[in-house]
Amino acid sequence: MSSSRIITLTSSDKVDFYVNEAVAFQSQTIKDVIGDGCEDKGTLLPNVTSEILSKVIEYCNMHVEAGKLEERSGVDEELKAWDAEFVKVDLDTLFDLIQAANYLNIKGLLDLTCLTVADLIRGKTPDEIRKTFNIEYQFTPEEEEELRRENQWASE
Amino acid sequence: MHVQTQSRKLQLNSSMARWSQLPPDLLLLIAQRLNTHFDLLCLRSVCSSWHACVPSRLRPSRFQILPPDGTSCSLYLSKRSILCLRLPESHCKPTNCSWLIKVEEDAPGMAHLVNPLSTSQFKQLPPNFPKTIDFSRFRVSELGQEYVLQYMDRRPSGEADEWSLRKEKVTCSRTSNGEDFAMLTIHKSGKLAMFRPGDTRLTIIHDMPSRCDDLIYFNGEFYAVDNTGRTVTVSTGSPPVLSLIADSVFGGDKKSLVESNGELLMVDTYFCPGIRGLMKIAARFKVFKLDQTGHTWVEVESLGDQILFLGEKSTFSAVASEFSGCEGNCIYYTHTFFFRNGDRYHANTTIGIFNLENGSMGPLSSFPDYSKVIWPPPAWAYTDNIGSI
Repeated sequence: MSSSRIITLTSSDKVDFYVNEAVAFQSQTIKDVIGDGCEDKGTLLPNVTSEILSKVIEYCNMHVEAGKLEERSGVDEELKAWDAEFVKVDLDTLFDLIQAANYLNIKGLLDLTCLTVADLIRGKTPDEIRKTFNIEYQFTPEEEEELRRENQWASE
Repeated sequence: MHVQTQSRKLQLNSSMARWSQLPPDLLLLIAQRLNTHFDLLCLRSVCSSWHACVPSRLRPSRFQILPPDGTSCSLYLSKRSILCLRLPESHCKPTNCSWLIKVEEDAPGMAHLVNPLSTSQFKQLPPNFPKTIDFSRFRVSELGQEYVLQYMDRRPSGEADEWSLRKEKVTCSRTSNGEDFAMLTIHKSGKLAMFRPGDTRLTIIHDMPSRCDDLIYFNGEFYAVDNTGRTVTVSTGSPPVLSLIADSVFGGDKKSLVESNGELLMVDTYFCPGIRGLMKIAARFKVFKLDQTGHTWVEVESLGDQILFLGEKSTFSAVASEFSGCEGNCIYYTHTFFFRNGDRYHANTTIGIFNLENGSMGPLSSFPDYSKVIWPPPAWAYTDNIGSI
């Protein structure tokens, strides 16, 4: 069974990307849509821009290549290091990557990006999180009251 | 000019809107990777939409655990969290920026402050200590968890107290929903006892050849070490199965298990020889890390920037850089003196510090920088309104 079929993916801004079937099928969504052996007429991804799609393809490429090298030791650490560099992006890009990974159903990328955000959040105060993610402080008086109760513990 | 400002405003607003409008299922995926109650609380406190998406953690309810031997006194599990509180970076002064506390979580909204290394409450809070601690003001990291078995009703007197479970270490498995868990403890006979969801009584596990010294829940499994250093994992099946992880090391007098920097370490405590009876004074410590393939404990020369804490009912570790004024490669430990008052024995616990590099040790009071981390509460913990929610 030939696995070198080339799949065409089209981003929301109408840029075509030609990828190996193995790479494209890292996305469960694409795999489900195209199926095995069907003629590929090109797949439009209306939710993913070309900028993000190229990064996603870069991720999938790397992970497919790494999968072929399973026999070699040290591949895991190298891949982890590569992943760590891959997610060193600005928060806007990170946001888009999470959305894309979710929409395209790429488990590894979704795990990686969610973990990255969790690491950015962990140990910070709510105020610091707001500053990091550029979120406005906005609560109704009822919510504020509930927050006060949850955050403030009586010390005896 | 006006148009430029407008479009920049729109740009800022749309960027602001993005993260707060993160779809709930994605926010939950992120929340799942935050393991402590306080992180989730923090997440809820960020903005209205996140508040709606992230569920508040259910309080663990008290449920009965009956001892294995048919006695009727029932127990419940009490959980404490050991936290390191720090000021957000913008407010941090060069010294004394962290405070190590332990809070009981049983009563909603009540933080009983307990000495992080023992089970006793602090005798007296400073007079102007505030009535409430506002956790949203601090960076909160959870360093460890501690579980204690308490009597459900009145404490039984005399022989019924033979059970004396309360003195032994307890550890629990942690699941993401906080509901299901299994509990492992040490029975007074030195054997392990387990409690699983659906059980009513503790089950004693008979396969440990020597007295069990310590337990830990690490990397999704229960580990137990006996007095010789022989270490096993304990499955939660029916019956529980013990699997050998490391062979005995012998050496010192008491073995403890502690997690540090993602690894499992064992600390071997050597007590002062020649002191008999109920006084156990530590003379030195050796630290080991696990060589999984070889099934052995390998001695560790230096902890680097890690600090280990060996408390009465829990162990945990921290990175020295989080504790301003402290250097790594040391161990905080407790020693408990038993003394007699009339016909009752009392326990007095003091804290000491052992420096792995040069083997020096002494009571916490001789190391003011190190003791400030625990007591007294630093001024910034109760100065009002440094960055409220």
